[in-house]
Amino acid sequence: MLTRRDLMTGGSLTGLLLLSGCGLQPTGGPTVASGPIGTDIELEGAIRFQTWNLRSAYLEYFEGLIDEFVAAHPGASVDWVDQPADGYADNLQVDASNLDLPDVMNLAPDLAWPLAQAGLLLDIADARPEVLDGYADGAIEDYSDPQAGTTFAYPWYLNTGPIFYNRALFEEAGLDPDDPPTTWDELFDLADAMGDAVDGRFYMIGQLPAIADFGMYGVQVLDDDQERFIFNDERAVRMVERYRQAYERKGLLPDSTVLTYTGGGERFQSGQVALSTGSAYDVANFKENAPDLYANLGITETLTDTGHANMFSQGIAVSSRTEHPEVAIAFAEFLTSQEKQMEFAHIVDVFPSTEGALEDPYFTEDDGSDTSEVRVVAAGQLDSARNYTPVVWTEEMRVELQRQVGDAVVGRITAQEALDASVAQANRLAGVSE
Amino acid sequence: MSTATTLERPQAVETPQRRRKPAPVRTHAPLTPWLLMAPALLAAIVFVLFPFLNTIVLSFTDARPLLGGSFNGLQNYRDLLADPMFWIALRNCLIYVVGAVPPLVILPLLLAMLVRKAVPGIGAIRTAIYTPVIASVVVTGLIWTWLLDSRGLVNSMAGWLGIISSPIPFLTDEYLLLISSMIVTVWQGIAYYMVVYLAVLANVPQSLHEAAMMDGAGPVRRFLTVTLPAMRSTMLLIGIIASLAAFRIFSEIFVLSGGTGGPGGRSSSLVMLIRESGTGLSGRLGYSSAVSIVLFLLTLILMIVNLRMTYRKES
Repeated sequence: MLTRRDLMTGGSLTGLLLLSGCGLQPTGGPTVASGPIGTDIELEGAIRFQTWNLRSAYLEYFEGLIDEFVAAHPGASVDWVDQPADGYADNLQVDASNLDLPDVMNLAPDLAWPLAQAGLLLDIADARPEVLDGYADGAIEDYSDPQAGTTFAYPWYLNTGPIFYNRALFEEAGLDPDDPPTTWDELFDLADAMGDAVDGRFYMIGQLPAIADFGMYGVQVLDDDQERFIFNDERAVRMVERYRQAYERKGLLPDSTVLTYTGGGERFQSGQVALSTGSAYDVANFKENAPDLYANLGITETLTDTGHANMFSQGIAVSSRTEHPEVAIAFAEFLTSQEKQMEFAHIVDVFPSTEGALEDPYFTEDDGSDTSEVRVVAAGQLDSARNYTPVVWTEEMRVELQRQVGDAVVGRITAQEALDASVAQANRLAGVSE
Repeated sequence: MSTATTLERPQAVETPQRRRKPAPVRTHAPLTPWLLMAPALLAAIVFVLFPFLNTIVLSFTDARPLLGGSFNGLQNYRDLLADPMFWIALRNCLIYVVGAVPPLVILPLLLAMLVRKAVPGIGAIRTAIYTPVIASVVVTGLIWTWLLDSRGLVNSMAGWLGIISSPIPFLTDEYLLLISSMIVTVWQGIAYYMVVYLAVLANVPQSLHEAAMMDGAGPVRRFLTVTLPAMRSTMLLIGIIASLAAFRIFSEIFVLSGGTGGPGGRSSSLVMLIRESGTGLSGRLGYSSAVSIVLFLLTLILMIVNLRMTYRKES
């Protein structure tokens, strides 16, 4: 027979179970009304602006920028918060779950996408359709959902990686340092040749291919409807098989099967790997931390078989629950305006996302400085660059691809099996039926 | 009689208050225990019971961060059984239990026997042995990474001595990575359990050792017939604690593999699988909760088996 204590215990547990089901409710949607929003009014209100690990290096720039905005709009105020790089996504998740996202925030496409899916980011295409023409098309695509016809952030700065190589290691392996690879197949041929020549004392390639590398090799990552992953075609198989061949002939760093991107970069700096991707601001790092490499540094355009380089971007999103949408929009547009982006590009070695900004002589003329050559090479690529990493590509998909390709490279499974498994898992994770 | 007079307490000094019994404390019997337990109970409900129940509920859903979810029955458990990574992670946890627990039970006992003797400088030696325990797993993991890397100290020394012609892939071979992680776990845990053994060893009556010596028992025989029986229950306890910890291994493998779980992720543990699938803005909360529940059940079974064995031996 049930006692009063049994009933109380059972009731409490049932209550807790019901409460725990609350986690199944989606996060609250937008509070800002849909439709165009004008900023030609007297702006009033306080907003919170969040950046991603920028305070320590660029404090002066952001303080000046905020002061300038507030001086132009005395009724507005901006509370700047800078979050550390580690755990940025976790912080966003907590803020989003608490419906306390910053009014204006710095996001990369992969972070912006899930927030937009949850309806937490303002649709710029709906609220400010007239301003989108001012940004480069490729940059806008990074923050757009073609199916829904929405744009969930303003493009901010762009970057693209030139290829760095170690001229001394090329020479030691009997390769011509003035003739670096320009296509992926040339890279694989040189990797085999280097492996044959130096027998694992150092290696040409330091990391496994990422999804963007498949794109630059000419593999179609998503189908024409941009819904289903299809990167398991013949060309993708060929790429993985070339990696496997490079591994067998000691042209690919064996540790690359477990290394993260940072690890691959470190091996390049230490002289264990002869070639690496990078960005404009790596040159200063090489100069300070790897002087031997810096003295022998070769720079060339990115490897691509499609004629398009890969591009990375950062965006500025506005919360769809902001209490002061006019102020938030005005600040986001002020921050991503051509003038402010150019100022930022002069101090950070990144590239503006506004239309026509790359025609500025700063990005087209080599002034002979350390970083100038890299900047001009990278800016030249950006004109036709595209982001080969789909916005729906998640960390779990990335890990699965690396896992499968790692297995194929060491010969545990075939390239086709690895890619089939990666594609199946990616589609499953994306919620696309087989 | 004067003595009797001085000892006699005059009655006038005794006040009525002193004679009265102290008033009983009003305990409000049914509520008092609950009131005293309330802070701890509340913390346990909020931080242990609620998350546990929430994990059970989520394991039957397709929940994602921010997007919420709906019940999908046993789908996550079906996915789990069909996921090769789950079986690989489970295998690795079992290998870890088999490989790391016996050394963690036996080596600290031998070490405790060595360092319990009062010789000059023993305090410093004990402190030195204990140092890895207070160091962060991440820090020690990084140090071991530098040691075992293909260009690390161990490979460099072995190459310099001519023992090897190419680096031993400590961190790039799936099994060597697991073994390397176990070495770090044992190295770091050995001193902790040594302290437990030292405390118990101090309670073993010296008279037993003396009696055994009188009977002609040598050091080995005394260890087997006196020390080991006295240590049996402690060894079982350490075995349980170490096997539960080994089943939930994460930090060592994570740090040594640079967060990747080894080549093809084939050195991953179950906790790594939970972290990988359940974190991030696009994490699969339902699936990672299902793996968590399975891990919970497995550790529960392990604990029950251990306790039953202990009980049987004790009785």
